[in-house]
Amino acid sequence: MTRAEAVALVLSRLTPEVLVVAADGAISREAYRAADRPRSFYMLGSMGHVASIALGLALSRPERVVALDGDGNLLMGFGNLALVGGLRPSRFYHLVLDNQCYATTGGQTCLSRQVDLAAAAAGCGYAWARRCGAGEDVAAAVDAWLSAPSPALFDLVIDALDPGPVAERIPLSPEEMAERFRDAVSATLAAE
Amino acid sequence: MATSRRLETLLDHGIELVAGVPCSYLRRFFAACEGLPASRYVAAPREDHAVAIGAGAWLGGRLALAAMQNSGLGYCLEVLTSLHLMYRLPLPLLVSDRGEPSDFEEHRILGQRTRKLLELFAIPWRAATLGEEEDEAAWLVGTARTRCMPAVLLVGKGVDV
Repeated sequence: MTRAEAVALVLSRLTPEVLVVAADGAISREAYRAADRPRSFYMLGSMGHVASIALGLALSRPERVVALDGDGNLLMGFGNLALVGGLRPSRFYHLVLDNQCYATTGGQTCLSRQVDLAAAAAGCGYAWARRCGAGEDVAAAVDAWLSAPSPALFDLVIDALDPGPVAERIPLSPEEMAERFRDAVSATLAAE
Repeated sequence: MATSRRLETLLDHGIELVAGVPCSYLRRFFAACEGLPASRYVAAPREDHAVAIGAGAWLGGRLALAAMQNSGLGYCLEVLTSLHLMYRLPLPLLVSDRGEPSDFEEHRILGQRTRKLLELFAIPWRAATLGEEEDEAAWLVGTARTRCMPAVLLVGKGVDV
């Protein structure tokens, strides 16, 4: 499964009120291209902090929060696993799009080839953590993750390289992204 | 239960969540934080996590305070620049002011450049004085909110009340 397919699949499984934090680089761009939504926050930098931002949201809002993380990103901010596993926020869903490399910068080697991210999350106190490899029914695994007790980390192994064109940069200024998200969060949704 | 005038004035001025890494210069402040409900104080594993939690809280409609030793500011530069300054997110910070000549070696190099570091990124700062807690809390929260950016209150030795 390619990263673009995985991002589109996960976003298609989320109801409109869910809050999403998308990792900087290709993950944010793919999320914007696949299904832009006002309750998605797109990181442009601050690599390593996807789950910290998502945790700040989870401590402030009653809705489910989904962190769209990458393997390199999670390794950079590995303290996040202790933070989330230790605090055990309710409604916290952590996805690692794990291509086993630094794809945005050209596919350089990443330690996720050797490190079991799901086992690390479980050791830190996540209520549910598992890895999904090639050949498994990804849609069913995504649904199992989203029905799991919180916090739940799903390490989804995806293709190292995406054959399609890399998604373009998001045509919103950072300020517009933040304002739009805050406006969407403060507005009441019919689904709530 | 431990009390801190610093924490009380900050809560009175709208701080809803504290995230940080302790410093002995802020012992009283952090002791009081430990008495807050779990949803209002996060003991972060590193200072930049506390800053990023503050960004998420603001996106979710709550104003957080990040508290730390000034040695942790170095870790925070990436998050402060590519998150708070770039997206224009308010974040009050309470930072210890270590590095005076009598302080230990490990605090001097970064500590003596704390003000220059903040000024390099045009982050407003103010040094805390005994008895000014009320005014300082108003300045810290007000500056971060009205300018939509980080603002720093530096807390030196003996001003942790």
